[in-house]
Amino acid sequence: MASHAEITASLRAFQSGYSKNKRLKIMNRDWDRVVLVKAEDIESEHTLILKDGELSLMEGNNGRADLIVAADSETLADMFYGDITPTEPYMNGTLKITGSEDDIVRLDFISLMIWGE
Amino acid sequence: MKLKRVLTLRTIVSTSAGLTLASSSFIAAVQVAGFLAGDSAWIAILIGGLLCLAGAACFSELNGRLPSAAGIRLYFSRAFNDRLALVVSLLYMAVIMGVVGAESYVLGNVLTMAVPAVSPLVWIVIMLVAATLLNLRGIKIAGAFQDIITYGLIVSLLVLSFLALNRVGFHLTTPLSPGGAGNLISAVAVGVFLYVGFEWVTPLAEEVTDSRLISRGMLLAVGILSVVYALFTVAMTATAPRTELLASPAPQMVFARHLLGEPGVIWMVAVSLAASATTFNAGLISVSRFVYASAREHVLPPVFSRVSTIFFTPWVAIAGVFAVGLSVSLAVVLTRHYLVLVNLAAAMESIVYALAGLAVLRLRKKNPAAHSPYRVRGGMFIPVMTALVFAGLAVAVALTNIWVGGYLLAGVLLSWWYVSYVVPRIKQKYQVRRPARRRRPAAEPSDPAGCEKT
Repeated sequence: MASHAEITASLRAFQSGYSKNKRLKIMNRDWDRVVLVKAEDIESEHTLILKDGELSLMEGNNGRADLIVAADSETLADMFYGDITPTEPYMNGTLKITGSEDDIVRLDFISLMIWGE
Repeated sequence: MKLKRVLTLRTIVSTSAGLTLASSSFIAAVQVAGFLAGDSAWIAILIGGLLCLAGAACFSELNGRLPSAAGIRLYFSRAFNDRLALVVSLLYMAVIMGVVGAESYVLGNVLTMAVPAVSPLVWIVIMLVAATLLNLRGIKIAGAFQDIITYGLIVSLLVLSFLALNRVGFHLTTPLSPGGAGNLISAVAVGVFLYVGFEWVTPLAEEVTDSRLISRGMLLAVGILSVVYALFTVAMTATAPRTELLASPAPQMVFARHLLGEPGVIWMVAVSLAASATTFNAGLISVSRFVYASAREHVLPPVFSRVSTIFFTPWVAIAGVFAVGLSVSLAVVLTRHYLVLVNLAAAMESIVYALAGLAVLRLRKKNPAAHSPYRVRGGMFIPVMTALVFAGLAVAVALTNIWVGGYLLAGVLLSWWYVSYVVPRIKQKYQVRRPARRRRPAAEPSDPAGCEKT
């Protein structure tokens, strides 16, 4: 089981990878979204906010999510560090994403562009 | 937790019915009529609809237990095993490509009947290129536009049906005597094609806050479609010569010309274009996203996971689907074996519904305490009946057309071989390529600074 701090660190790594990718920022400048990342086995919620191509991270839930990403803490930490692709846990039901299909695919593309296959 | 944007029941019904209503549905409807005496096709269509309602109930329970866009890939994996889920999913996607091929062939013929100077082949290429470009740009039919198309189609088909039935003074030939039981079973088996795709609405489970809406939407869509198809098929056989309908790759055009002349042709071209638009849209998007997701989980070669950095769409997967779709369409143009594809889709759909019935039983046994907002009533009766009846219908379709049985068997063997021998190699190659060291630190880090609190 990963801790809240480990999930935060993984999201920081994700945010750092995103910020280094100028192309990704340009591609997402029209995609303003709020993503809630929620662990199912521990008390841990984070909010990723994409606005004007910039990605920021906050602890907790701001209550205005476009997308909700929920999984056990281990899966979340591994996924945001890029050690596993989101597709495998998604296909076996460990990872649950609530939101529009286009947004879900876009989030996976971002992960792919940050961490590779 | 609430989302900012959620879908309504109206859009769920229109999406489920819209995916199902296709230009090739009219061929299946006429084929159903061809098995039966007089104007009694409505009996087989309504029986098919009732059976599909049972299938929809099973899908509703599966969707309630596992609300995910992964659909049958996840349901069958949890209920049976990952290998079977993958074999069925790959085969199902291949059959959907066949449906896209049949659909483009039918629509090509519809347009050629309206504009004889242009051959069906040219129309097919134009339509597939147009659908692929829209897919590449990430443009899809959704929401209010989907509502307008689907409900407009339903109203059009109902109005045409009443006009046709009014013309014959609502007098039908032996509407209550379908003939022998064998023919009725064959008619119901092929009639399943009329409902192909109603369950594709389950990926929308992630766009609603109450997954019961998906169940209600699917059941309503199947109910509405049953009535519309039954009326329209009877209207066709009551007004146009049966032999002419059966011989045409676009029987709806034959019907429209008999009913209203040239204005009818124009009306039916619009109806066919609208029906095909949603099928192309859903078929190409679903298959290309499935190909992309499969490449991401190392089931298909990694090249298919390449993403357009301009449009955020999986361009290699989309191009691959276009190439396969065009090849299938060309093969249909050359061989005129579009009925094989229609029957193949009916058989494959029956297999998927039969497995859905079994999956409900398996998941109930494996995890009886699991929460599900929808549970099929009547204990085991409906899942067992769904599994048995649809397995029987799959066999009936395969026996009706020996090519269908042959293609289906070859497809199962090929898919099984691919999953058993090729997929492990792709996964092995990925293990060699992936970074040797994990990025995630082994030790728990201290609480990182700089993280705002909400």
